Amino acid sequence: MAMTTRQRARMSKTIQIAIFIIAIIALVLAVDWDKAVYAFFSFDKLGPMFPGMILVGLKNTIFYTIISFAFGLVLGLLLALMKMASFAPYRWFATAFIEFFRGIPAILVLLAFGFGLPQAFGTQWPQPVNVMCALGLVSAAYIAETLRAGLQAVPKGQTEAARSLGMPAWRAMVTIVIPQAFKIVLPPMTNEIILLTKDTSLAFILGASMAQYEMTKFGRDGISQIDAGITPLVVAGLFYLVITIPLSLVARKFESRAAKTKR
Amino acid sequence: MSSDTNKLSVHASGVEITGLRKAYGSNEVLKGIDLNVAPGEVVCLIGPSGSGKSTLLRCVNLLEQPNGGTIMVGGFNATDPDVNLDKMRQQVGMVFQQFNLFPHLTVLENCTISPIKVLKRKKAEAEKIALGHLERVGLGDFGDRYPDQLSGGQQQRVAIARALSMEPTLMLFDEPTSALDPETVGEVLSIMKNLAQAGMTMLVVTHEMAFAKEVADRVFFMDGGVVVEEGKAADVIGNPQQPRTQDFLRRVLDPTHVDI
Repeated sequence: MAMTTRQRARMSKTIQIAIFIIAIIALVLAVDWDKAVYAFFSFDKLGPMFPGMILVGLKNTIFYTIISFAFGLVLGLLLALMKMASFAPYRWFATAFIEFFRGIPAILVLLAFGFGLPQAFGTQWPQPVNVMCALGLVSAAYIAETLRAGLQAVPKGQTEAARSLGMPAWRAMVTIVIPQAFKIVLPPMTNEIILLTKDTSLAFILGASMAQYEMTKFGRDGISQIDAGITPLVVAGLFYLVITIPLSLVARKFESRAAKTKR
Repeated sequence: MSSDTNKLSVHASGVEITGLRKAYGSNEVLKGIDLNVAPGEVVCLIGPSGSGKSTLLRCVNLLEQPNGGTIMVGGFNATDPDVNLDKMRQQVGMVFQQFNLFPHLTVLENCTISPIKVLKRKKAEAEKIALGHLERVGLGDFGDRYPDQLSGGQQQRVAIARALSMEPTLMLFDEPTSALDPETVGEVLSIMKNLAQAGMTMLVVTHEMAFAKEVADRVFFMDGGVVVEEGKAADVIGNPQQPRTQDFLRRVLDPTHVDI
């Protein structure tokens, strides 16, 4: 039977609504809600997690993110400049570094710092330093590529104009190119910070004293110590959103302000 | 405008180019150019696209690295590997076809950034000088705007003011009106004319034959990487001797004229 376009559209909509309703009914009937609520939403039993979750866990997650990002940013900028260098071995090194650290899981790098280096060299670095180095190296690989793309997106004429005004190459880079590249790299950079925030959760693998717990570690301990299903992890997840969503909002604000002054 | 013109105290310097060669790979763009510009002189470079005029201009402040020959600018030997390039470029203002204003800086900041950062001028002093030049180009009230808020002609005038704010002794113009809407070409050309009258040494790559004829002291016609004809502006443009020059000028001055 042939249908008109309108009939077909109406039919399609009816089917979509029907599937939606059936799915909800199935969910309501199939799920044991008492169990599910217990497993995910036993918020009332979480008293013992606080205020440590915030005062230690949230604090450490933010702290690890900041030091790792700072290290990654400096190293990433260095790598980006190396990748654009005229001296070929610099470019080779940067490319090798980037490919290596972008290609292996962050958790392996963490393990290397936490267990490999102490075994090999007898070093005993504090946990924050291990986390900063490991996550910093990994994020530097991503940041380098982002920065390079941003720096190269600034038209060549900008450098030429700056140089023809007597600016040395570094001055042209600092005063003219980098500020313009900053606006270009802001969105991917926000992504990078958000990824990094989540990657700090891997720090639990190194084991740590209570004072060095970050949020995921708190969540994991919560599971074993509190009879509340995985609710402690749900809470940890919510706190990650508390960090990442404002980050996105701030970045968006920056972007729209940048758009206003852009050519 | 004429009283403004007198405000500009120009310490003009000259340019001496001998045997200049430039090649990109096996593609020879400049095949031994000799050209000099006396202090205070205005020289226009004309010729078809790809004739090497822009490359020649860009060699003068070493935005392009020559492969041979010498370039003397003011007291500097630009082709000496040990030359202080930044010091030399402080003397050489450059105006680009695409303006190349700094989009993240205001008009006034565009004109003060290099005097402050490079010449180490005090901010107030740099702003005073920059405002003077912005007034020269008729944009004294535009200091707070951003480049994207200006028309093409206005942007190019800012670019001229920006170059002048470094108080150069020589100005290079690389097809300064080629990217402009036809109705804004005149405002830029008239500023360049004023600058010429104020005694600035100017080397101008242009397709504006009327401007070249009126303002230039001498004109060089280039084709295929060599200077085909040079002489007084009125002679080269008004009464060219070389067939290639004649042919080029016929096409430029009368675009509807086609010989097939």
